[in-house]
Amino acid sequence: MNRRKMLSLLGMSPALLAASRAEAAKTKTKIAKPTAGAGKIEALNPKGIPPPIQLVPMAPRLNSLDGKTIYLVSDGFPGADHFLAQVGLWFKKNMPDVTTMYRLKAGAFADDDPKLNAEIKAKGNAVIMAIGH
Amino acid sequence: MGFPTAPMVTIAFKNLALSNAAQRGMPHERICFTPHPVWGKTDAEMYAYLEGNDPVSGKPLMKEVTDALTQPLTADESKSGTVTPDVGPATFIDTSDNLQQYYLDNGLTDFMHIQLPTQEKVDAMLKGTSHHPDEVVGKMCPARGSYPEWSFTVRHVAINAVMAGALPEYLPTILAIASSGVTALSSSTNSFAVAAVINGPIRDKLNMNYGIGAMGPFAQPNAAIGRAWTMVSRNLGNSGMPGQTYLGTFGNSVNYNNLIIPENEKDSPWTPFHVQKGFKPEQNVVSLFVGFSISQGQAGVGLGVKPVPQFHEALRYNMIPFGPLFGALGVLDPLVAQGLVELGFKTKEQLADWLQKNSTISAKDARSTLFGGRWVRDPQTPDDARIPYYAKADSYNFVVVGGQTNPYHMVANMSYRVSVPIDQWA
Repeated sequence: MNRRKMLSLLGMSPALLAASRAEAAKTKTKIAKPTAGAGKIEALNPKGIPPPIQLVPMAPRLNSLDGKTIYLVSDGFPGADHFLAQVGLWFKKNMPDVTTMYRLKAGAFADDDPKLNAEIKAKGNAVIMAIGH
Repeated sequence: MGFPTAPMVTIAFKNLALSNAAQRGMPHERICFTPHPVWGKTDAEMYAYLEGNDPVSGKPLMKEVTDALTQPLTADESKSGTVTPDVGPATFIDTSDNLQQYYLDNGLTDFMHIQLPTQEKVDAMLKGTSHHPDEVVGKMCPARGSYPEWSFTVRHVAINAVMAGALPEYLPTILAIASSGVTALSSSTNSFAVAAVINGPIRDKLNMNYGIGAMGPFAQPNAAIGRAWTMVSRNLGNSGMPGQTYLGTFGNSVNYNNLIIPENEKDSPWTPFHVQKGFKPEQNVVSLFVGFSISQGQAGVGLGVKPVPQFHEALRYNMIPFGPLFGALGVLDPLVAQGLVELGFKTKEQLADWLQKNSTISAKDARSTLFGGRWVRDPQTPDDARIPYYAKADSYNFVVVGGQTNPYHMVANMSYRVSVPIDQWA
């Protein structure tokens, strides 16, 4: 299933991805009808409270990669460094006007790295980030 | 981050990446997918990935990457604002059988029969605490920093406690665990397990089993409190949805009701665990551990030595396979603890000190492990240098439990996280 189909199935709302609706939709379970009656009982929803989601506008894109510097950033998962080396090699072969810079992000996998972010803003134009294995 | 970014993720983590991006406010993030895995592939194989197609879009992968950085943003991609997730109606009405199926099919259980959380049963459960049902207990998520944290109230915890088959008197312990924010269902690919060490008079008040079969399915409080931790993690901590918030490749049967370890304080020669952490003996405390899992130690070297088996040597031997991601937890029958006292380890701390000083690995071997960088941080360290498995003795923890049917021990590659007073939730 692609992302648009997934979001469409979920009412185009990213918020729904946080809830159990994905599984509900997937299993196509007959949903309990909200009418009490003989032999029926009422049970409480055990779900907690997800936080509101602040939509984050994506950063403006570049007109072209020619002459630009792309940072190749690893989050530290095994193999990401080798993989990004191959990405650098691909640019060297296919888009030689692009400069690539490899960096290992500081901290745990999901931690922000403000120092690296500042460096990229000052010296780079874009990022390719290898996430996970 | 403020600059155009093309995340590259392997296809195995597609749902995780998409749902995580959406939950972080970027439902249309331009994620590019590679085949799986990357780890362990040769340079040539990885380069071939780049020359091939994105397995999700079917388009050339590197064109996807360069397009992600250069194609103008769509209106959806530029959106700001707030959206509120929907977790469904407050109640469900149907026959008992249909509701059982509904809860199961919608991922609200541990895939075993539950006690349906009717208002009557939840009200009875809430009598187990003096706290207001609407009081916020805490926050939880599948992995801190990686997922948004969900919050939950006393009522939410009570609903899940009912589902797990708990009695009202168990509720303060379950609330204490829930308040820690430690999920029993980590999203990690490692299939982690968790443990709760329980100390204080509440063990006897609840008739917890800390004797024969303490960690098995032989006592209602042990079983139900542990199961409630999983229910809470799943429903209140947004954990345990395979492919999205749970990535453990094998899963872990310990997750059904977790390692619940009421310490056998009366038969232990040592200070109870909670007192080690600064609490008074009469306080009721639950202490939580997180890590890989637990295994038996009977194959350890030194156990055949007479008259007193060399339990410390066996522990060292059993803990050698442990990695530095988590600490070491020794679970000892009282007979083992008493034997260690005979061997000169008058306190748990003395045993921890000995193990820390006598458990080392060569820098060469440490470097070759998956997490070698955590062990050998200085690249100048010579290969033959001996590196302690753990830099500090407090990475080793011990708890005494069991029925003394034999002097056995178990070892867990697990780290201590936090101790929570139970009485504050009574």
